[in-house]
Amino acid sequence: MASQTSAVTRRTVLGAAFGLGVAAASGCGGPAPAGPGDNGEASGTIRLLTPIFEGTEGQKTLEGLLATFKQQHPKVSVEVDYTTYGKLSEKLTTSIASGRPYDVMLMGVGWIPPFAAKGVLADLGEDQQELTSRFNKRVVDPGVYQGKVYALPIMLDTRFGYYRKDIFAEAGLSAAPKNFDELRDMGRKLTKREGGKLVRAGLDILANDLRQTFLPLLWANGGELFTPDGKVAFNSPAGVGALQFMTDVILTDKTEDFGFTAPGAATGVPLVQGRAAMMVGHNNVWLEIEKNAPDLIKDGKIGFFPIANTRPAMFQGGTLGTVSAKSQSPAAAKALVRYLADSDAALAACKQRGNVPALKALESSEYVKANPAVQFAMGNLDAAYSEGGVPAWLEIRGDFKAAIESALLGKKTPQQALDELAAKATEAMARG
Amino acid sequence: MRGKASKTLLHLVLGAGAVIMIVPFVWMIISSLKSHAEISAYPPVLWPTEWVWSNYPNAMSFAPFGTYFRNSLLIAVGHTVINLALATMAGYALARVPFRGRTVIFMAILATMMIPTYTKIVPQYLIAKGMPFFGGNDYLGRGGYGWLDSWWVLIIPGALTPFAIFMFRQFYLSLPTELEEAARIDGMGEFAIFGKVMTPLVKPAIATVALITFENSWNNFLWPLIVTTRDDLRVIQVGLAAFQQVEKTEWAYLMAGSTLATVPMIVLFLFTQRYFVQGFATAGIK
Amino acid sequence: MTVTSPPAAALHAPPGTAAPPPRRRRLGYERRRAAWLMLTPALIHLTWWIGVPVLATFVLAFTHYDVLAGTISWVGLDNFTEIFADETWNLSILHTVVYTFFTVPVAMAIAVVIAVLLNTKLRARAWYRAAFFLPHITATVAIALVWMWMFEPNVGLFNAVLSMAGLNGPAWLSDPDYAMAAVIVVSVWKGIGLKMLIYLAALQSIPPETYEAADLDGASAPRRFWSITLPLLKPATFFVFVVSMIDAFQVFDQVYVLTPDGGPANATTVMTFEIYKTAFSEFRISTACAQSLVLFAFLLVLTVISRRMTGKDDDAR
Repeated sequence: MASQTSAVTRRTVLGAAFGLGVAAASGCGGPAPAGPGDNGEASGTIRLLTPIFEGTEGQKTLEGLLATFKQQHPKVSVEVDYTTYGKLSEKLTTSIASGRPYDVMLMGVGWIPPFAAKGVLADLGEDQQELTSRFNKRVVDPGVYQGKVYALPIMLDTRFGYYRKDIFAEAGLSAAPKNFDELRDMGRKLTKREGGKLVRAGLDILANDLRQTFLPLLWANGGELFTPDGKVAFNSPAGVGALQFMTDVILTDKTEDFGFTAPGAATGVPLVQGRAAMMVGHNNVWLEIEKNAPDLIKDGKIGFFPIANTRPAMFQGGTLGTVSAKSQSPAAAKALVRYLADSDAALAACKQRGNVPALKALESSEYVKANPAVQFAMGNLDAAYSEGGVPAWLEIRGDFKAAIESALLGKKTPQQALDELAAKATEAMARG
Repeated sequence: MRGKASKTLLHLVLGAGAVIMIVPFVWMIISSLKSHAEISAYPPVLWPTEWVWSNYPNAMSFAPFGTYFRNSLLIAVGHTVINLALATMAGYALARVPFRGRTVIFMAILATMMIPTYTKIVPQYLIAKGMPFFGGNDYLGRGGYGWLDSWWVLIIPGALTPFAIFMFRQFYLSLPTELEEAARIDGMGEFAIFGKVMTPLVKPAIATVALITFENSWNNFLWPLIVTTRDDLRVIQVGLAAFQQVEKTEWAYLMAGSTLATVPMIVLFLFTQRYFVQGFATAGIK
Repeated sequence: MTVTSPPAAALHAPPGTAAPPPRRRRLGYERRRAAWLMLTPALIHLTWWIGVPVLATFVLAFTHYDVLAGTISWVGLDNFTEIFADETWNLSILHTVVYTFFTVPVAMAIAVVIAVLLNTKLRARAWYRAAFFLPHITATVAIALVWMWMFEPNVGLFNAVLSMAGLNGPAWLSDPDYAMAAVIVVSVWKGIGLKMLIYLAALQSIPPETYEAADLDGASAPRRFWSITLPLLKPATFFVFVVSMIDAFQVFDQVYVLTPDGGPANATTVMTFEIYKTAFSEFRISTACAQSLVLFAFLLVLTVISRRMTGKDDDAR
């Protein structure tokens, strides 16, 4: 292993230190320097870690894609490690700790700034101008940290409003809600109870991950997660208003009872079952409808709306391709990321899970045309917002759920809940 | 007469308990045969209107379960055999032979159980990667991948459990000294006493440890996933996890796969529980 | 090493070996040598694969180890001050203690009774045993599916029964006041099988002759259970108790599957979940190590106490 850089050696020493139980003290510090230069023709064997393309189906798809990649880059071989999103961080942690990370890592939106800030990711050297000609700017931004592009979007997942046109018609409503007041009004009208028991929720805000329900509300209300210079901003009046809205839905309007449903609940999706008239949901709810209530689609009973108050907003997450700063074959790795973000691979990935392509060109693809939810999402990408943006995001995001719940349960006021969360977040950011 | 009445009562109590215990399992089997629509229907459909047997072949073709099954079986058998061999010896030594430091060693073994898996997994990974002379490593464990992506790492690190040592110690402890002393007078050495006299008496403990080791290994997921990158080294639980994605779960397939994964365990249980027989009846002690 | 002079060692030696005659001395040496030979493979394995990681945990807990950047520095007790300033962590300690306090004794009590009942000659005994062991081997996700339906607020079994009695049941798993109770019920149910199995194995080593005298006296079944069976199960009980406690303090799966991400407003967050979150969601490995040491300290103290309580008599053979 003649090409070993000093950084790798130090990692190994750290590994040995672990092994002997004598952790080498302060001696080694500072972020790892970038690997060897990435000029020249792409060649070498690279390792890819992917939380998507799972199962036999996905594996076959990816193998087909990689065969095409091999034709374009005959000197590059790719070894694929399939994992799931649930265990992605364990795989990343252990491989990074051992000093031999994967050359190409696929990860979620909020991960880029933390990993880039710690020197894990390589600058892809992409031109943002050029990227925005192919992708919507909103989609490029999550891969950018301090002006450099560290990740390319492969596919997006979005959260927006769904409504049942049939239930709306029954209640004499026709248009989708355009602001928070209308949302609440309609929610109250559409709620149905029998003997105190909630039979139909007017507005279901619990079937989606609570943070990912709160965030589009925050953005729709004109708020931001963080200020441009990286300070906490979600406890602004706009943020408190968004959480107040959620609290009103549960506690004041009683449009939905806390515990009525939960994300990914075994009890099914209420909107699909006719137990909710509106919901904030993932674009893949469409697949659920296709499978379990195809008649709803046939009869055109499903409508979409962006969450809106002072502005329309849609939550946008996604899977991005990155290259390790330690890659021995950075040129090959970058070529693979570029290939995965291109139309063939992106479309295949989206198809497998009913997700939204990031490339503008794919808006006219058969797949998008056949899936109204995806079509809606692509049509509204200008209103899409992404979470994260600060290096400490991974330490902050986990606390949102409990804070939102404490407000929805009436244990804390929205202001209190968000202020406490903001204090925690500020502390995490100070920790560095 | 009274005996018969109490037997009936006993059957009633145990029967009621047994029903509570098996309901989820039965539900799992029924769910595995439901259609997508019925599995997420509200209120729940208790009895499917249509039995979707195709869930099974579909679930099986979702991932290379044949390979996964073989791998899990090999690993579980390997773990069980090694664990029984090493833990019986260690348990016996700790229970039956007084020597200085015995209590300290025993407590240290207990202590190793007290740090959670998630904390140990990063160092364990680094140890596996730093295995000298393996996978392109030099004598200091540098340069290569060590044991990663090999059968070694799947079988060796998890092969011995402190649980098993502890359990065997307790069972050897409860055996009477007379047998041992009689054997010693007959001129038997310590190993012979261990192998021929005492160990046959803890058959129920062996059966229990075998069952638990096999089952834990069969259900293990995190370690095999982390230390392998190749699909041909993955195990059955990794396959089942593929049905559960962050955004949605393929319930019917998951239930079908889980049912199939549980069947070997039940067979194994019914087989091993036959060894829950009075050790002394066969030992013929006076 | 033939002199067994320290009083502690003498305490452990079998009665009558205080002043061993020469032949016994040599025997003692041979036995000890055999014991070490039997113990060594296990000790090497454990030291390498568990001992070293445990040691690493101890060391890392006093460092700031940034796994992403690959840097490490000593920080003394900083990690500990930090975690105890974290309300959620302190809450998780409380939850873990409550969970253990209710799960372990209840499951153990049910398990020992079931084991004794299933140790009698009974038709279909094997099937009963299998049934009680089944929850232990049924996949956790399957369990979640069923229990979520049972705890469902509107049509779930629990609330259906309550509404027959004219009561309005809570939304079990989403109600901070009831979520932990629901998790405990499921854990007791799931935990019985393994404990029963161990007790069942232990019951086999009680010679039937033991009961003969009691049978002659005409002692009742409950009396025999209390005065003969239970005392003889002491080593097994110590084992089941310690192992169950360790398991309960490290509970993760059931809690996570039933009440994901700490449950409603962190009402069911437990120590292992916080450790997992710190290490693999926030990538703060050394902080997770500090949290693990707290967990370790709890378990060590509880184990030592329970060893004192069951008495060291089980050491003397």
